[in-house]
Amino acid sequence: MNRSYYWLVLGLSVPAFLWLVPTLWMVSLSFQPNEVLARTTSSTFFGLIPIPFTADNYAALFSFGQTPWWFMNSIIVAVGMTLGVLFVSTTAGYVLARLEFPFKRTIMVICLIGLMVPEQAVFIPLYTMFADFGWHNSYHALILPRMAVPIGVFLMMQFFKAIPKDIEEAARLDDVGWLQIFWYVMLPLARPAMMTLAILTFLYAWNDYLWPLVSAQQREFFTITLGLASIQSNFAQSEGLGRVMASGVIASLPVVILFLIFQRYVVQAMTAGGSKG
Amino acid sequence: MASRSKLSQTQAAWLLLAPFLATYTLFLIYPFFRGVWISLYDWNLLAVAFNPDAKEFVGMRNYERVMWGKDITWSVLNAPVLQTLGLIGVVLSIILSRMGRLSRFNAIALGIGSVLLVILPGFHPAEGGRWYDRRFWPTVGNTLVFVGFTVPGVTISALVLAAALNRETRAMSILRTLFFLSQVLSVTVVTLIWQIMFSPRQGLIANITETFGGTPINWLTDQQFAMAAIVIATVWWSLGIAMILFLAGLQDISKDIYEAAALDNAKGARAFWYITLPNLTRTISVVVILQIILHFQVFGQPHLMTRGGPNDTTQVLVRYIYQTGFRDSELGRASAMAVFLFLIMGSFSIIQFVIGREKD
Repeated sequence: MNRSYYWLVLGLSVPAFLWLVPTLWMVSLSFQPNEVLARTTSSTFFGLIPIPFTADNYAALFSFGQTPWWFMNSIIVAVGMTLGVLFVSTTAGYVLARLEFPFKRTIMVICLIGLMVPEQAVFIPLYTMFADFGWHNSYHALILPRMAVPIGVFLMMQFFKAIPKDIEEAARLDDVGWLQIFWYVMLPLARPAMMTLAILTFLYAWNDYLWPLVSAQQREFFTITLGLASIQSNFAQSEGLGRVMASGVIASLPVVILFLIFQRYVVQAMTAGGSKG
Repeated sequence: MASRSKLSQTQAAWLLLAPFLATYTLFLIYPFFRGVWISLYDWNLLAVAFNPDAKEFVGMRNYERVMWGKDITWSVLNAPVLQTLGLIGVVLSIILSRMGRLSRFNAIALGIGSVLLVILPGFHPAEGGRWYDRRFWPTVGNTLVFVGFTVPGVTISALVLAAALNRETRAMSILRTLFFLSQVLSVTVVTLIWQIMFSPRQGLIANITETFGGTPINWLTDQQFAMAAIVIATVWWSLGIAMILFLAGLQDISKDIYEAAALDNAKGARAFWYITLPNLTRTISVVVILQIILHFQVFGQPHLMTRGGPNDTTQVLVRYIYQTGFRDSELGRASAMAVFLFLIMGSFSIIQFVIGREKD
């Protein structure tokens, strides 16, 4: 490591800090009293340091208001969607990678075409469909439409293709059925890929905005992402800036923690998802 | 084991495919065709909800009402700047493909894009005529402006950062994490942060400006700055994924090339220009197309930060579709716009697909 390297790190620290400032500011504001924030948001060092300090905003969030409820909704929807996508993608990905059957090519082509349909192009017909079924304002309405993601199938397919054929053939010689091979041989091998897909799906589900906005009109079925949108328009008057910021921090905690722990998988997922789909 | 009846390969395949095929058909294929079908009807959300027969088949009328007008004519001089750019593009695509500098596919894509740029801005209502929907094309224009600033902004800053951060040391990995962190936040958190950052009364930017004796800007309510504010927030938010893709692309460039170049005294900026960029062209096109697809569908940022205002300057296509459908209850017209969106997205997806296959 030479001198120019240290200069580079130092030089990059400045934009990196600037990049962090908006997030830092949100966290800092969430720890300041609402009465102070109503007067000024730059008490100590432009408000980046939470002095005067209080944790009341968080206490208030959990004693009244719907934030904890929305948080639970988000957990249910994100976990449900993740399990669903894993199930649908591993089964289909395995079949398309390893089995031979009539019309395989046709199905592959249809999948590829599906990659081109953006969710924004189908949210209106989906809305009318779910309205016909009377399904809006429910957890399955928030979960089901997002299970049809060809990108997940492609990720799993890529992975299964890379597994050596001999493992499967040995099992076939022992007269093991295809379903057993899938369940006992392939799935355990696929754990890293499933992890990657799971994290990608969870992040996507947690941050999804347009479909919940259209489908969940009752506040009891808001996800935290949607709930936060509903309180941010009038933050200054009713809720108090500190409390809205505290909601923002709570809404971000799961994804930020998930990201910091599983950074490697997130990066892999984004790279694979980005260049393939 | 042998006594248990076993499924044949074909049976097993269809059984395991069933969950995917079911969800895929029900929630993607069928809605897509249903969307096209709705776009052919005069379909009021509330009226049809009460009485399913309250819709009326109108054929292509919705498309006409959205995209066309009364007495529309075409002239070369309607949008001279854009049309000249288009002409330059046409000439470039011919010359470059003749010189063998462009692959045939890129030449065709550039050529088609340029021809469209010459033709489309030429349409305008003649005297006494008018567009049936005054807001649609300006909305498309705003979306393009947003894409036109965000995509280069993200791409260039991500590329420079990735090149600088491409070293396996602890400090660099921490810096990468810092730049990537905002990417995992949801759009509502991002807009929450930036709405207040930009606030002229409480905002951090205003506070800093005032300390240095400046007058704070009304970022979100000033026509000149509203779009810029949304672009800034978006670049801050979505830099991470582009940076990660560039870092992955940089890993594929062999270290030997740099070492050889260093002997010829090509280091730092020169190495970046003469080695990194040429070796990264495919990654750059993937990132650019991906960003175009992603940001053309922008919705949350203008919806929450500016509500499309002031004076419609930040109204974007998906938000207009959402409003037409769910505020004005005009599902037919909204669906026609959604089909338009799909066609644009689809053509970019095809380009992306072709570029993706070139490598293999």
